Amino acid sequence: MLVYLIRRLLLLLPVFLAVSMVVFMIIHLVPGDPIDNMVQIGASPQQRAILVARYGLDQPLLVQYGVWLRNMLGGDMGDAIVMRQPVIDLIAENLPHSLRLGGLAFLFSTIVGITTGALAAVYKDSWIDRSVMTLILLGSTLPSFWLGLLLILLFAVQLEWFPVSGARTWTALVLPVLTIGLHGVALVSRVTRAAMLDVGRRDFVLMLHAKGLSHRRIQLQHVLRHALLPVATILSLRIGWIVGGAVTIEFVFARPGLGSLLITSLAQRDYPVVQGCLLMLAMAVMLGTLLGDLVQAAMDPRIREQLR
Amino acid sequence: MTVLTRPLKVLMLAMASASATIAVTPAAAQDAVFVINAREAGSPTYNPIKGTKLNVGNNLIFDRMVVQDADQSFHGQLATSWESSADGMSWTFKLRKGVKFHDGEPFNAKVIEWWLPKYKGTENAFMTDAIDKVVIVDDHTVKLMMKNPDPSLLLNMATSFMGIPSPKSYEALGDKFGVTAAVGSGPFKLESFTIGQQTKLVRNDDYRWASALSSNQGPAKIKRLTLREIAEESTAFLELKTGGVDMLLSVPTDFMPRIEAEKSLKAVVMPGTEVFYMPINTSVAPFTDIKVREAVALAVNQKEIQMSLFGGLGAVANNFLVSSLQESKINPKFNISYNPERAKKLLDEAGWAVGSGGIRAKAGTPLTVKLWTQNGTQFKRVTEVIQAQLKAIGVNAEITVQDPASINAMYKKKTDHQLAVRAYDYTNADILDWFFSGARLGYPNVSMWNDAKAEELNAKAMKGSRTWEERVASFKVYHEYVMSQFVFAPIYQPTQSFAYSQARLKVPDTIRGIKMATQTIMDIEVK
Repeated sequence: MLVYLIRRLLLLLPVFLAVSMVVFMIIHLVPGDPIDNMVQIGASPQQRAILVARYGLDQPLLVQYGVWLRNMLGGDMGDAIVMRQPVIDLIAENLPHSLRLGGLAFLFSTIVGITTGALAAVYKDSWIDRSVMTLILLGSTLPSFWLGLLLILLFAVQLEWFPVSGARTWTALVLPVLTIGLHGVALVSRVTRAAMLDVGRRDFVLMLHAKGLSHRRIQLQHVLRHALLPVATILSLRIGWIVGGAVTIEFVFARPGLGSLLITSLAQRDYPVVQGCLLMLAMAVMLGTLLGDLVQAAMDPRIREQLR
Repeated sequence: MTVLTRPLKVLMLAMASASATIAVTPAAAQDAVFVINAREAGSPTYNPIKGTKLNVGNNLIFDRMVVQDADQSFHGQLATSWESSADGMSWTFKLRKGVKFHDGEPFNAKVIEWWLPKYKGTENAFMTDAIDKVVIVDDHTVKLMMKNPDPSLLLNMATSFMGIPSPKSYEALGDKFGVTAAVGSGPFKLESFTIGQQTKLVRNDDYRWASALSSNQGPAKIKRLTLREIAEESTAFLELKTGGVDMLLSVPTDFMPRIEAEKSLKAVVMPGTEVFYMPINTSVAPFTDIKVREAVALAVNQKEIQMSLFGGLGAVANNFLVSSLQESKINPKFNISYNPERAKKLLDEAGWAVGSGGIRAKAGTPLTVKLWTQNGTQFKRVTEVIQAQLKAIGVNAEITVQDPASINAMYKKKTDHQLAVRAYDYTNADILDWFFSGARLGYPNVSMWNDAKAEELNAKAMKGSRTWEERVASFKVYHEYVMSQFVFAPIYQPTQSFAYSQARLKVPDTIRGIKMATQTIMDIEVK
């Protein structure tokens, strides 16, 4: 297992380099630059040129990339050009908000998704199943931007249960968590239901029925346990999205976080911040996937056997 | 069924109790929450000397020498009086006594001597370019010796970029000034600041030196003021409606009917400071031909746009400047107004004959032009209407939508664009220099206009005036010449609107200043 872990970590290095290059090039190839956000509109071309040179933006792109990568590997994410703060400070300030929101949404989608998926499988073709399927359909198809506004209208405006936006109290987390979480609920619920129905057709389940165990007990104690492996796979793939899955939702709910920081810095073409945020999101996905693989290996003896 | 019944009951009870206990907590007495203008969102600093994008909080933290009223007249704040020499080569300012910065340091002539040279080499250097040196006359009198006359000195002094920071704190904080802390002498002190999210301000209890535009000379009536940044307009409106915030410092026209329908809310409409216009790239065909430029400009039906898109609010624009500026009062014959018949006649004269489908053509080439705009509901709607209006005279305009940062960079390629729908928010005639000077071709001179006579008139308006009156007269001449060349089409002047909760705030009937800012905020009470 340790060898497997080391091998996977080594494999991440070329992926990291490739991602860093893509991240760097994406933002530099988009029209616009941060200097436009630093100078007054009436500034002379000479004033612009001074700033362009000060931030090394007149250097060839590959040279700029090399400098940035070297600093990154040395633990220095650089200073924001427009925001004039160390990028690491900006990320450190915003990351906890994203982790809190994404983590709770992940927890919510896991618990509710498995529960509803299991219920739908246990009571297949009943009104419960149909209700869950409707939930799955809505959760999969409604754009989160629109769903967020709908939830605000219902729970914040009509019922006045929760604040519309912001991050001042814990109650402000409820609607964004629901908005992000519902999409996850749909996915987890669908996979749980399908996996349980699949396992339910296996021979050992037939044997359990023959032994006289109740349907509900077979489903919840035996079928669900075996069905959790594909669910764990899906969940592990979503771990990385804990950080990056809330970009638009942070915008709708005017919440701090990496998503809000990314949108603000993108609008200002604040290259170091955009690069830092995108790299953080990419790394979260990469590490999340790795963690997911490890969880799977821990859960499934067949995978462990293959690793030996 | 029974499996669900109990959890469902528990859930219902939990939601019911939550509704009782989690209801939005109203802000405490004397505390207020404002949502800043979306245009000011994302301001990265509270450093008036180096910042190029400042929000309303800046003027609450820093006092300026002078402030403006709604009619753009000047009133003293840290300066009690001022006068310019007859030749415009010196200005004498009497300074207010008894003023202290938030760090306890006194405000006096030495502060001005330190402050003005600080602009040299910064992004805002042009504000003080004309000042040669500061001479201290006495503790509370300074004389500014000029390199050349600058009638717009007072205008510059009234902008947010000329807020005066505490020298001691400024030097101590270095590059961190405005980011980790900001120390001025204004009615509020900066407590905390998160870029793109919010700024928390606390009242400066020592403040007693508000301008004469405020009934309340200080301290402010609001004890704690939070300035929130909510980029999504629907979210901001719903926050106001539900009491999450007390005031929106800008309200899109679309939301006005909804605000007016709410009894607890009040919307206030003020004269606008913004102009929508359509630059015409004079360097590319077919707009190298002045007749085609004039035709396109005359095809824009400003009244239709005002009525159909903005519910009749605001005003049509017939020239380049905000109508409250003296320099906008040019000879009416230079104003551009909708005239489709003349537009068609001009295109005929230019050789563009009506072809199939009503689109004009010349030598087999259809009159198809690029019409660029930036994303945002208002921009897209205005652009779509103009597209239809151009089609009515036989011009086929193809729309491209870009985000603001991208589109500005694309203008710099100089010849890729032809027409564009843009807007600016500014109340100084020198915007003409910014947008039409031959030194700034591509962007911001999107019209790509480079004309010897225009440059001469521009130079005279910008640097050749000794007095305000001379400056106004010179800018009028320059403005008229710009208009005569049809390098853009004027479109619309939106109003400024803000809205507040009547249950929470008592706002003076008369709004002082060009925008809802310090002059009025000093007088706002929390109920």
